Amino acid sequence: MNAMVENPDAKLALVVDDSEMQCMILKNLLMEEGYRVLTGNDGARGVALYIEHLPDLVLMDINMPVMDGYEAAKRIKSLSPNSLAPLIFITSMDSDQAFVDSIEAGGDGILTRPFSPEVFKAKIKSIQRISNLYSQVKNLQQEQQQDAELAEQIMSGVIEARNFALDRIGIIKQAAALFSGDIQLTALCPGGNVNVLLGDFTGHGLRSSIGAIPLAETFRVMTKKGFSLLEIIEQINRQLYELLPVDLFCCVCCVSISSHERSAYVFNAGLPDTYIFNHEGKIKHKITSNHIPLGVMPNLLPQAQLQVFSVASNDRVVLISDGILEARNHQGEMYGTRRFEFAAKQGFYHGDIPGKVFDAVDEFCQGRPQEDDLSLIDIPCHGWEQAPAPDEAAQSIAISEMHDLYLESEPSWKWQLKLTGQRLALVNPVPMAMGQIQEIEGNGEHWNNMYSILTELYVNALDHGILRLNSDLKNSAAGFAHYFMVRESRLKNLSSGMIDISLSYHPLQSGGKMIITIADDGAGFDLAAFYEHRLKLKQADKVMLCGRGIDLVHQLCEKLEYLDGGNKVQATYVWAK
Amino acid sequence: MSIEKIVSADNQNVSIAIEDRFDFSLHQKFRESYADCDTNGTTFTLKLDKTSYMDSSALGMILLLKDHADKISGKVIINKPNETVNKILEIAQFHRLLTIEL
Repeated sequence: MNAMVENPDAKLALVVDDSEMQCMILKNLLMEEGYRVLTGNDGARGVALYIEHLPDLVLMDINMPVMDGYEAAKRIKSLSPNSLAPLIFITSMDSDQAFVDSIEAGGDGILTRPFSPEVFKAKIKSIQRISNLYSQVKNLQQEQQQDAELAEQIMSGVIEARNFALDRIGIIKQAAALFSGDIQLTALCPGGNVNVLLGDFTGHGLRSSIGAIPLAETFRVMTKKGFSLLEIIEQINRQLYELLPVDLFCCVCCVSISSHERSAYVFNAGLPDTYIFNHEGKIKHKITSNHIPLGVMPNLLPQAQLQVFSVASNDRVVLISDGILEARNHQGEMYGTRRFEFAAKQGFYHGDIPGKVFDAVDEFCQGRPQEDDLSLIDIPCHGWEQAPAPDEAAQSIAISEMHDLYLESEPSWKWQLKLTGQRLALVNPVPMAMGQIQEIEGNGEHWNNMYSILTELYVNALDHGILRLNSDLKNSAAGFAHYFMVRESRLKNLSSGMIDISLSYHPLQSGGKMIITIADDGAGFDLAAFYEHRLKLKQADKVMLCGRGIDLVHQLCEKLEYLDGGNKVQATYVWAK
Repeated sequence: MSIEKIVSADNQNVSIAIEDRFDFSLHQKFRESYADCDTNGTTFTLKLDKTSYMDSSALGMILLLKDHADKISGKVIINKPNETVNKILEIAQFHRLLTIEL
């Protein structure tokens, strides 16, 4: 045991031989090759030295007192099964059996005496080359593992931790051994709707997660600002197309649920069928992908649009990734649609679709390692409405300020946008208006109400004033879905019409006042008949799908007036700090 | 798993046949199979009749082939995918991007 100290970076070899003479010869040869060398004279001593110094190479005699070379080799290999240090037996037993026994004891090679110094050095070089390669592979594998862990941590810790309503939306993800790029996002729209996205990036590990951060950011910011689902998807597609290399893309299914409209809007681009289950757990709709995955084309297909489905409050929307359907068992069979639908139904009865489906997939795979991420999102169709609570604080604004409120003071700023013809179909002015407000006045909770008011009034002007849609359409059997289709087709052919939106902001001592005026050049409507009709419905206690938006605006606003034969509406919204 | 490539005498038609599973393990070989085919207007026929399964990285590889074909004013035809493979192409709506011959 006399380690050379000249070069502490040199590789360390351990020579175990009961002959001092042999030890010296091998030691000198190894030192000529640049090794530091330790020596021991029996197997037990060899094992002890190995444990203490963890050498890079072991040369082992076979016949030794106390413990022979085979036993010592077995102990060393069992101590560190993943050790990179090669072990070579040096022997004068030139038999097939010696060779077989050496390999079986864990040896990486055998060298039979007598040998020339050249042969010995060549053997050491070749074994060291293999050992270096092995350690390179090992390092690469570790790096890849770290990348995959980082990717998964980014997804779950950074991105998905910011999801909305996790107490109501069931989300389960089981990442494959090598993380495979599934992403699950939920966000609240200003009007109370919920937007949900399930994405599956191509590729594995870190490579599959580079698109995740911009995707999540765009989804959240645009949802919060009140852009429509299709506008959000368009933007995500453009971003991923610019960002990702040709063979990387993202299969996505987006769903927006509106309790208020009793509708689910779905856009499926490359994921397996999305399901809508009714209150009995029966499949009401299967929504098949009808678009190329995002990030493949610079723009969405010209005919791309959301699919709309009427939903009852007890319905559930379930999104899955292909990892579930393609999970395989030891026989190579895939889990498939039929088994999934059965498990989902069972889950529905037990009030736990994600849990049941995952247990069933687990059982099916019989412990075969997963090749892809498994994801499932289960969304209830009720409870997604903003409580139409008028700003309590606004009502308690000090009496001393009341005159402020009605004083025709000069506004501190005004904003106006006039849209005509096709621009009405292409531009959504609500997020623009909200952007202006927040840029000048900063963020605040009360802007959610403002968003609801603007949206309701603008949609009324567009749908009824310009597109001449009749709200009664919403009460038909197909409900909102039918209404939406007619709306889309009229929008596409729109060539004339005008809507003028203006905001004026009046600061109050402890809050503010916004006057919103929206005018259109449509046919207008009979105000008296409108109010009478609504009164009648109300007395008959009919649940109205339409008109609820206006009720909300009424509740939120200080004042709401229709002017110019129904062509103009003016709302006054007041809030307190 | 294997890739077989046949090039016509005039270099205008390249047929690439894929057996068994078409997945990420073929990435390198698949790329090499068309990388040197740069005759203007080449038609690449991707024969999938013996492909049993295809994953999403294979879709990515097809997009790379399409990108290559577009650069030399060529085109890509997918030939005879089986039911499983066609289902995967259908979900990704690839018939909107290239020709699929059933």
